[in-house]
Amino acid sequence: MSDSILRVALAGNPNVGKTSLFNVLTGSRHRVGNYSGVTVECLEGELSRRLRGDGPPMRLIDLPGIYSLSPTSEDERAAYELLAGEQRPDVVLLVIDASNLARNLYLALQLLELGVPLVLALNMVDVARDAGLQVEPRELADELGVPVIPTVARSGEGAEAIVEAVRRAGAAAGAEPVLVPPGPDDEALREALEGLGSLPPVRARTVLLGHLAGVAGPGEPGRWLDGQPAERMRAAAEQLVSARYRRVDAILERLGVRERMSREAPAMSRSERIDRVLTHRVLGLLIFVAVMAFVFVSIFSWADPVMGLIEDAFGWLSGLVSDVLGPGLLTSLVTDGLIAGVGNVVVFVPQIALLFLFIGLLEDSGYLARAAFLLDRLMSRLGLHGRAFIPLLSGYACAIPAILGTRTISSVKDRLVTILMIPFMSCSARLPIYTLVIGALFVSHEPVFSTGIDQGLVLLGMYLLSTVSALAMGFVYKRTILASPTPPLVLELPPYRLPRVRDTLLMVIDRVGDFLRGAGTVILACTVVLWALLSFPADRTGAGEGGPTRVAQSYGGKLAQGLEPALEPIGQDWRVGVGIIGSFAAREVLVSTLGLVYGMEADDDDPAELRQALREQVDPDTGEPQHTPLSGLALMVFFVYACQCMSTLAVVRRETGGWRWPAFMFVSMTGLAYVAALLVFQGGRLLGLG
Amino acid sequence: MVSRRSFRYAPRPVTGRETTLDTLAVGDDAEVTAVQGPGGIAVRLLEMGFVAGTRVRLVKVAPLGDPLELRIRGYHLSLRRAEAAHVRVRR
Ligand SMILES: Nc1nc2c(ncn2[C@@H]2O[C@H](COP(=O)(O)OP(=O)(O)OP(=O)(O)O)[C@@H](O)[C@H]2O)c(=O)[nH]1
Repeated sequence: MSDSILRVALAGNPNVGKTSLFNVLTGSRHRVGNYSGVTVECLEGELSRRLRGDGPPMRLIDLPGIYSLSPTSEDERAAYELLAGEQRPDVVLLVIDASNLARNLYLALQLLELGVPLVLALNMVDVARDAGLQVEPRELADELGVPVIPTVARSGEGAEAIVEAVRRAGAAAGAEPVLVPPGPDDEALREALEGLGSLPPVRARTVLLGHLAGVAGPGEPGRWLDGQPAERMRAAAEQLVSARYRRVDAILERLGVRERMSREAPAMSRSERIDRVLTHRVLGLLIFVAVMAFVFVSIFSWADPVMGLIEDAFGWLSGLVSDVLGPGLLTSLVTDGLIAGVGNVVVFVPQIALLFLFIGLLEDSGYLARAAFLLDRLMSRLGLHGRAFIPLLSGYACAIPAILGTRTISSVKDRLVTILMIPFMSCSARLPIYTLVIGALFVSHEPVFSTGIDQGLVLLGMYLLSTVSALAMGFVYKRTILASPTPPLVLELPPYRLPRVRDTLLMVIDRVGDFLRGAGTVILACTVVLWALLSFPADRTGAGEGGPTRVAQSYGGKLAQGLEPALEPIGQDWRVGVGIIGSFAAREVLVSTLGLVYGMEADDDDPAELRQALREQVDPDTGEPQHTPLSGLALMVFFVYACQCMSTLAVVRRETGGWRWPAFMFVSMTGLAYVAALLVFQGGRLLGLG
Repeated sequence: MVSRRSFRYAPRPVTGRETTLDTLAVGDDAEVTAVQGPGGIAVRLLEMGFVAGTRVRLVKVAPLGDPLELRIRGYHLSLRRAEAAHVRVRR
């Protein structure tokens, strides 16, 4: 506590309205902070000016939703460390769902054990009120010995009272731990707590549960427990949890709501009716497919016009700059390097925003949990959680938002497996490459069906190959370098609620801002480097426009020529090599880079000229056509596997907190791509094709 | 320091009217009698409310046959059959 800013952490079960309350308290200024490495991200923000008034400032931290403080999952471990560690907050604001106290109060008891200054936000009192489940806040406050403030985070009701109570709690001297004592028959528990007597009592309880779970509490392992009979310590752990739940029930009894609270959460009876359709045996699956198709098609198609507009806008800006500056190296740097680089970053925004809009709406409404429920059977075959499905599917549109979307997966290793799988999914940027190559080289005079169908089948083949490869690689990673047991499901199916557009939009803005800051700079830098590779050494005349000879003499061109011995076995020449290097900026750039190499005005919309040039180019040594359907197939297979996308690597670096995983991804995928292309080309030749 | 050791366990045989949670039929109500299974899952289940004496109902089975939807302590929770098999119940 170096300054007078009051640090307040928001804790609570998932889905109790923590983030809504956070938004109410902070207004809209927040940033995503990262705590304890890659796993857990917490929102951080200052108390809004309106609520602050003349009082001292307050910083709020929104922790991930947790059910308990026992360090059995990564989220919970992170929350425990934040709440009990060195940097513990001044006040913990625990948000509980007034309509579901039977479960919510368990976490409240654990926080009381911790002895941190605590304020309870009794949220969703509107829901409880409608169901006639009135809980008198004062009575609950008397039971627990901490202030209890009724709130409706959705409408902002109770915000002022919360601020006041938190200030008061922050000003008071620290809180004493309130422990739940063992019951009269809980001998095993009594014995265990005595054995762990050298630890502070809270710590002893955490260690007891952590030890049974196979993870000792952070810091001190309970050595003493190792020597004890396993069954006995297991019984002790059971008695500890039972004692806490007995205390919860006793509180509910005194509040006069025990019977009703343990029956059915009021919001659930309506949800059960909705679920008769949405998780129905047949209808449920059909609706799920329809929802996913809708999400997928919209990311694919709605984003497209906006992306076109962005590209046009940056094109217009480039044009303007070159008109003002005149031709020259500087102009080229500004237009082809900087402006193109910023464009390369901004162009992802529509897709990212759309995906997060959908994820946000699905999550807030409660449907995302149902999707995981429906799909878990399939995903658990792979060893992954049902939640991995949506990011994987989004990978078909674009790996960037998909990788950002893996944040819903709570296990680090499983998240990494999913991140490593996503770039194998054929994203929309590969489509121009497939269509160029197929359009140029798969025009037979004797089509098997018709040219159109043949070409369609080749395209379908590429998508199948990419899907099968992604699943296979996931299977391999999950069992080798990232081996971990299939995570337990233990998934709450929350009541359906109408999502709040404002909260969802705030989340979308956070995500987009996070992407622009975290990955944008790397993408910009790479674009400039690639520009330099293809522009230097500059010709002395300083002419702005590149041409075939200029590219051939550039460092990039030289590099590709040097690589020719490696390119030949996969059926490619240095020209395609330049295209591959250039397309690292973004795969679709292959088309315009090849255009440059073949010395034509690149026109993405109608690369007919380029198709012609590819088809007609002959090998100078043999006089045979340089590009055949077989070499085209090898090139496409190369692009199915290769991680030819600096933006993907930049985002993976952002998400994994270092260059290790992006480096692994690039090397392994490029290696795989080369081997696969080699197999296709050489194997095809052995079979007498091509 | 994190100790990776966890307790070994030997499942007790299921006797009398006792059974495991995964064998209930849709709509069945039962009472939890004990939680078994590897330590990590046992702690998780206990803390989610599966302590002896608690009422639990099997609400639904997912369309693909797994996982299960259960109601306990007034909320709905989904467990895989393999996880539910660690919870012993009495009808
Ligand atoms: N009726 C009602 N709905 C609320 C209230 N507070 C939040 N909600 C809704 O409950 C849902 C969950 O709210 P969130 O703020 O996302 O909950 P959370 O605790 O942050 O959830 P996690 O991010 O999963 O931990 C949203 O649809 C909110 O609009 C409330 O007081 N009354």
